[in-house]
Amino acid sequence: MADDDSFLHLARPLNPATIASQPSTAPLTVTIQPQALFSILDHASRKPQDQDRVIGTLLGVRSEDGTEVEVRNCYAVPHTETTEQVEVDMDYQKHMLQLHLRANPKEILVGWYATSSELNTFSALIQNFYSQQGDGTWPHPAVHLTLSTVPGKDIESRTYISAPIGVTPERAADSCLFIPVPHEIKYGEAEKSGLEVIAGAKDREDRSQMLQVDVESLERAIEQVLELLNRVSNYVNEVLDEEAEPSSALGQFLMNTLSLAPKVEPADVERDFNNHVQDVLLVSYLANTIRTQIDLSNRLATAALTMGGEGAPSTAGTGDGQKGNQNQRRTAGRGQNRSGDQ
Amino acid sequence: MADSGLKDVPLREVQVEALVVMRIIKHSSQAFPSYATGSLVGMDVNGVLQITNSFPFPTVDSTSSDDRHDNSNSAVAAPRAKSNVAYQNEMIKLLREVNVDAQTTGWYLSTSMGNFISANTVENQYFYQKEPNERAVTLVHDVSRSSTGSLSLKAFRLSSTFMAAYKEGKFTTETIQKSNLRYQDIFTELPITIHNSHLLTSLLHQLPAQPAKKELSIPADLASLTHDPALTHIPLAPNFDSLELSIDPFLEKSCDLLLDSIENHHNELNNHQYYQRSLAREQAKITQWQAKRKAENQARAITKQTPLPEDEWQRLFKLPQEPSRLDIMLNSRQVEQYARQVDAFTASVSGKMFAVKTNLLPGELA
Repeated sequence: MADDDSFLHLARPLNPATIASQPSTAPLTVTIQPQALFSILDHASRKPQDQDRVIGTLLGVRSEDGTEVEVRNCYAVPHTETTEQVEVDMDYQKHMLQLHLRANPKEILVGWYATSSELNTFSALIQNFYSQQGDGTWPHPAVHLTLSTVPGKDIESRTYISAPIGVTPERAADSCLFIPVPHEIKYGEAEKSGLEVIAGAKDREDRSQMLQVDVESLERAIEQVLELLNRVSNYVNEVLDEEAEPSSALGQFLMNTLSLAPKVEPADVERDFNNHVQDVLLVSYLANTIRTQIDLSNRLATAALTMGGEGAPSTAGTGDGQKGNQNQRRTAGRGQNRSGDQ
Repeated sequence: MADSGLKDVPLREVQVEALVVMRIIKHSSQAFPSYATGSLVGMDVNGVLQITNSFPFPTVDSTSSDDRHDNSNSAVAAPRAKSNVAYQNEMIKLLREVNVDAQTTGWYLSTSMGNFISANTVENQYFYQKEPNERAVTLVHDVSRSSTGSLSLKAFRLSSTFMAAYKEGKFTTETIQKSNLRYQDIFTELPITIHNSHLLTSLLHQLPAQPAKKELSIPADLASLTHDPALTHIPLAPNFDSLELSIDPFLEKSCDLLLDSIENHHNELNNHQYYQRSLAREQAKITQWQAKRKAENQARAITKQTPLPEDEWQRLFKLPQEPSRLDIMLNSRQVEQYARQVDAFTASVSGKMFAVKTNLLPGELA
């Protein structure tokens, strides 16, 4: 992300009471899932006009020893902020937390977020509220995520945890020391395809993108690969013409990659290729045949019943050639039996 | 009136916010291989249904008497369950306080290999769509297709003819003949666009989707090349999953699913045949009884006694009920869904295979 302050993160035990009993419960890294980030941005775009920033709660999972925190979900909490005081709707926060826990019992409260980068006394108050016993994240520290959403500038994100600071216990209640914690945004495998479509919309005028058919996305992927190959071959040509600096590392890497191409006999390739194509075309043909037959049987069943009860079932049962023949023989036999009864 | 005004503009397309896409993907991949359902909220603007937020439903515990329902059924039935309706209303009330759109615009469903057309799906969509002023769609996210490269998200509504037929609840042959309802007409599909907010667009431009802006220095050796984080960790890198060549898992699963559908189809057909056989038997018994009655009445007419009523057969014999044709229709629609998927797959795979073959056998212009 842009303009990250570089800092040295020293993980220290935070709560003096637990120094002897257990190692630090401070998170060493915070990972954020993209959909939590998107949700925060969406909330920031909905904030009421008179407020500078909006806050909300972060939900996620924490590793066993508290060193890794993963932020998976978030929701907004209404709050009002004036120069003198701040009000956070705590009932709302509790209620929403309960609802979310019902849907996803694994995602617990891990912290809170705000949509502006500044840290003031109100942040400290809210941070202490989130870290407290009972409803808060005690004994683990609450993670505070700030996301600057100034339009026109880059979006900066920072994560902090807090340590109590103050001369007296009363002063410590409304101030705290924010310690920055390294964080990163991790993308899961499943989200790649979604992110690709979303990223495809970023260059367009109306910021929207139609969903594309498989073949078109295949075409796009191939074009990208061609472009990459072009760049690499340009570089290699330049090295050969002695215009660019040669590099043994790049050369090795390229050789490793190119040696991955399989070396096969042409006859084998022909045979395997034909088998592959046959498999695919066979399944496609079967699927369409089944679709047609079922369509046919439906039409016959609903249209031909005016002709009589016995004609339709026998012709409608032709889902499979042989099975259809058996059905016909069976219903014809039954018809004879019935007339025999009468 | 406002109601008729809204109904006059039919829904043309669905616009989904990027946030909703990400949340649906995350919920679906978490719940895999069982189904994930949730609710959508948004707004209807001039025939374009904008979906701005979503939240998942808790799965309903099947502690009630239907213990034979497995987990997948309880998850798909979740939107209709009473507890979840209450959950949805509470969520929407809370979300309204933070300026999120409060109008329910449908529900979403995750599926695998297109296996989503079932009685539960239709009931859920009907449940949403039967309100007089509704604008509800079903968003179906196919997890297995999305993992092969392109996002698979579809929006469905029930067609109006099907809604009318479903309200009556009868799917006998005569009603279908009268309404001319085919299985293709059950769902109408709407095109989807994905929309980003301004903040999101600036974030996307910021993340390094292309390599670094300044000249990268030539790496010193192979190790530094493979381990340099600036080079190996590029978010939003182009997704090359769609260039995969493996076909067997997809084909096997498709064939299995098609076999299941054929079995279902045969079961339904057998049910109908059984019904028709029993109907014919009952009819034969009735005509027999009527003939007997007539003969008796003739005998009594001769002996000047009052004739017995001839229409007692209606009370004595009970005609069997015709089984509903709804399941057959849903099954056929499901088969069509599979067939369409296989076609799409064939298109891209044949292209890829020809490309690879030409590459491995250079000099041949196929």
